[in-house]
Amino acid sequence: MKAADFLYHRAGSVAEAVTLLDEYAGEARLLAGGQSLMPMLNMRLWRLGALIDVNQVPGLDGIEVEGQGDLEATRVGALTRYASLERSPLAASRLPLLVEMVRHIGDRQVRNRGTLGGSLVQGDPTAEMPLACLVLDARVRVESGRGGREIAMGEFYHGSYAAALEFDEMVTEIRFPRHPQHFAFSELTRRHGDFCVLSVAVTGECDSDGRWHDVRIGLGGVNDMPVLAEAASARLAGTRLADDDIREAAALTQEAIDPPSDMRATAEYRAHLVPVHVRRALQQLCSKNRAADRR
Amino acid sequence: MNEFVEAPAAPKEETWQEEGLKRRLIGTSVPRTEDERLLRGDGRFTDDVQFAHQLEMAVGRCPFPHARILSIDFSKATALEGVKHILTGAQVRELSDPLTVLRPVPGAPQLPYYALAQDRATYEGQPVVSVVATSRALAEDAIELVEIEYEPLPHVSDAIEALEEGAPLLHPQSLDSNLLASNSDRAGEPEARIEEADVVIRSRMRIGRVTPLPMEPRGVVAVWRPGARELSIHTSTQVPHLVRKQLAESLRLGEECIRVSASDVGGGFGMKLGVYPEDVLASLHAMALRRPVKWIEDRMEHFRASTHGRESIHDYCLAADAEGRFVAMTNTYTTDIGGWNSPFGSSQLSSVVFTGPYRVADAAVERRVAMTNKTPVGAYRGYGQPEVNFALEVLVDRLARRLGKDPLALREMNMLRPEDLPWTVPSGAVYDSGDYVKTLHMAAEAVDYAAHRGRPRTPRADGRILGIGLSAFVERTGYASARFLANRGSKFGAHESVTLRANRSGTIDLYTGVSSIGQSSETAFAQICAEVLGVEFDAVRVHSGDTATSPLNTGAFASRTLIAAAGALREAALPFRDKTLRLGAWALGIEPGDAVIEGREVRHRSDADKRVALADVFSRAILGQGIPHDETPGLETSAHFEPPSAAFSFGTAAAVVAVDPETGEFEVERFVMVHDCGVAVNPMIVEGQVRGALVQGLGAALGEELRYDAVTGQLLSGSMLDYAVPRAADVPPIELLHTEVPSPVTTFGVRGVGEVGTIPPGAAIANAICDALADHGVELSALPVTPESVWRALEAAKAAKKGEAA
Repeated sequence: MKAADFLYHRAGSVAEAVTLLDEYAGEARLLAGGQSLMPMLNMRLWRLGALIDVNQVPGLDGIEVEGQGDLEATRVGALTRYASLERSPLAASRLPLLVEMVRHIGDRQVRNRGTLGGSLVQGDPTAEMPLACLVLDARVRVESGRGGREIAMGEFYHGSYAAALEFDEMVTEIRFPRHPQHFAFSELTRRHGDFCVLSVAVTGECDSDGRWHDVRIGLGGVNDMPVLAEAASARLAGTRLADDDIREAAALTQEAIDPPSDMRATAEYRAHLVPVHVRRALQQLCSKNRAADRR
Repeated sequence: MNEFVEAPAAPKEETWQEEGLKRRLIGTSVPRTEDERLLRGDGRFTDDVQFAHQLEMAVGRCPFPHARILSIDFSKATALEGVKHILTGAQVRELSDPLTVLRPVPGAPQLPYYALAQDRATYEGQPVVSVVATSRALAEDAIELVEIEYEPLPHVSDAIEALEEGAPLLHPQSLDSNLLASNSDRAGEPEARIEEADVVIRSRMRIGRVTPLPMEPRGVVAVWRPGARELSIHTSTQVPHLVRKQLAESLRLGEECIRVSASDVGGGFGMKLGVYPEDVLASLHAMALRRPVKWIEDRMEHFRASTHGRESIHDYCLAADAEGRFVAMTNTYTTDIGGWNSPFGSSQLSSVVFTGPYRVADAAVERRVAMTNKTPVGAYRGYGQPEVNFALEVLVDRLARRLGKDPLALREMNMLRPEDLPWTVPSGAVYDSGDYVKTLHMAAEAVDYAAHRGRPRTPRADGRILGIGLSAFVERTGYASARFLANRGSKFGAHESVTLRANRSGTIDLYTGVSSIGQSSETAFAQICAEVLGVEFDAVRVHSGDTATSPLNTGAFASRTLIAAAGALREAALPFRDKTLRLGAWALGIEPGDAVIEGREVRHRSDADKRVALADVFSRAILGQGIPHDETPGLETSAHFEPPSAAFSFGTAAAVVAVDPETGEFEVERFVMVHDCGVAVNPMIVEGQVRGALVQGLGAALGEELRYDAVTGQLLSGSMLDYAVPRAADVPPIELLHTEVPSPVTTFGVRGVGEVGTIPPGAAIANAICDALADHGVELSALPVTPESVWRALEAAKAAKKGEAA
């Protein structure tokens, strides 16, 4: 199918882009990587008044580090391509979980074009980037003609494909706090790069006495947006992630999910898989820690 | 109904020796002629064909599985600037006749399948209105403006339910049920043998619906020149001559008015066998407007508008004695043909090969063709053979577990031996020759089957349990004969044809109606022709797929191209060679018996100074100058060849699969395929064909599925987002092994090779998973096999055990 007619604007600055968004009052979309937007236009699932291309806007891509120690933060421009994250030594050292998850996105062509900001705004409940940003406790910087604000990832979605943005707002940057010490990621897909059946990202800190704290368990594909399994995390605080701790925490993840049934899997199967994958991800977290100790 | 009446011809004299051939080119991996243009981006697919003043067509399709069309108002669409022409069902009925069927289902009535739905549409995606405009986007805008009032009708999407009393009827004017037709074949007394048998395994086996999914979707460009009364059609098809015939029928034109050309074609897989509604529509628009009209199917349309494949439900019964000797086999199956009878209809070969490579004298098969409110099913690579292979081979393993026997030993005990062949199966088909047991052993050795058998099925360090599964098969390639086809009412022959024509550059133009669909026919034809003529490979130029230049042929399907064309090539090349030698000898003043063709010359076999260039010899022939008085001018030969019988390929596959018993997730770690396609004309092409088909077979085994919503009847996986076709990263490691038993029924001993890879993956993988989970008592009975279906089978086995304990 071919897209219906739309107007095309190439914005030269953030100010120009948000002015145009305001003018079209919800009838325009920003074109970043276009990996979801263009197919939707071609399939005529959307009819737009205008497409505002932000690919030429300077300063929207790149990875920067600021601060030190606990105050260290990493800022990633919204227009940063997946492929840039994949190849960036800075991202590899500062955001290793994000980089690991990027490799599960689509195929090489998709990763060459798709952007971090685009994925967050698209808000696919099975996507890797929203889950990574949630687990890493990122904040999203948005701008509009009315000024800027920051939204915590935990509050970034109203539902599936529904980012908590006003129509005149544009995502410019994603800001990550210091990366957790330990992390693990596990995903089940029908095919490499496919929308996931479910995905699990876990992070945590381990004291020198072997006790864990700040364990975060993020789940993708099992709710209308990526979610944190908070009861499960709480169960693990201060534990040594012994087998019983892990098993009980894994069982508690059921509280956080409301899985869908679709072509990829039924809700029942997803519900069966979540605790298994969480348990395995936590075991991986533990074994990585032990391996680090041995080094 | 008998497959064919006569036994295959006795093995011929060794063709090679008879003709003094040295196997210079046949059997050599000559690089593909087609590659250079394709790799340079110089292929010419349908969308590459552009005409001045060309317009584009878009099609409005029924969004319901079954609906009455109450009214169509296209006034708003007509008013849109750039919209040139709109057709609806009523006009189509006035201007054209229903689409004809090439391979009728024996006993089925003709259904009035017009290019646009008349008062009712019987599947989601059936064309209802077509619009031509100055661009495709504009034509699609116009489609959105056409107001169609539908009355949704009760629908049925399950083939079994469709045959039940009270199901909504699809074609009450032609049929009083949804059973299009049924046919059966039998031999011996299977019911009596089953009664006496020590063990009887019965199961319902389900094969999912899939799409052939060629890289190039369908497409057509129609150009009508009223003054010349010529309709010129460029289209993506496997059968240009058959499209010409069918278009002539639907458009009420003489065949002489229609020219169809098709090259290159980006894959067919059986899906591009004959005329579709859009071909008729583009022609009608072009004839009305006197302007070229193009329609290119997009991927979203493709999932609903192009024929699907497979989908059948088999009630199998396998009976054996206590030792495991098969004593009888029955297969009653329902095949889903969808909302209309497509040119080839749903799979017919399940009835031919349902007994597999096994010695079973008492067997019966019944085929029921059910109509459902879904996209029509057509031919798809394998055409019924992957379906029965899955059902039978899974049941063979089930029988082995029941008897506590080794699945390999059980297969070996029951397999036909070389000395049992030729062997007639219940349908009357005759397995020609082969060493089936050898391929079984080769596959088993390649995966170290014996060592694995002895090991316990316990998890490895990664928590997964390893299993090995086998699947043995025979595959019918080519058609038995035109007589057999006539028995079934087929509207095509069993022959293939070529024309060879000398040119003044000293090379040979080879004309064939076989279009290039990726099967490498251009390369293989040139190899055989050059072999027989004695010229170099690149002295033969193949021109494909144009009905205006090629002799009338059958087409590229049913793994039949080379089965028939090898003979045509030989029979056209031999008189061509003889005349070349006579004219060359005359030019040299030597006896024809002393002349040989070598490279681009005719020369004396022992006196190297006596030589004349082929360019010279061919020029003499073309001009009629400098040739003997008793020779006619010109150097051109044509031959039509029909093989005496179908050839049966065979082999065994083995899959090594690691299964996670907690989640059902699994990974195919190795896939070995041992295969025999007789004499391989080009081993590299054979390997490519087998590999390509294996990937399609693996896709259908592991995740590809066109699923319809049980309530709404709508297609749930109708896009690349949801339809899980494997990508390069998802294909397990494939190892190919070959044997080469020449077929006695074909020229040069070839067997077909295009479809075979689709056959064994499903059963081999399912058997490996069941082997891995043997201690859990898991059985699989449906394709595709997914992690979820394995998990469900594990849960069912657990529940059954609990039930037994309680």
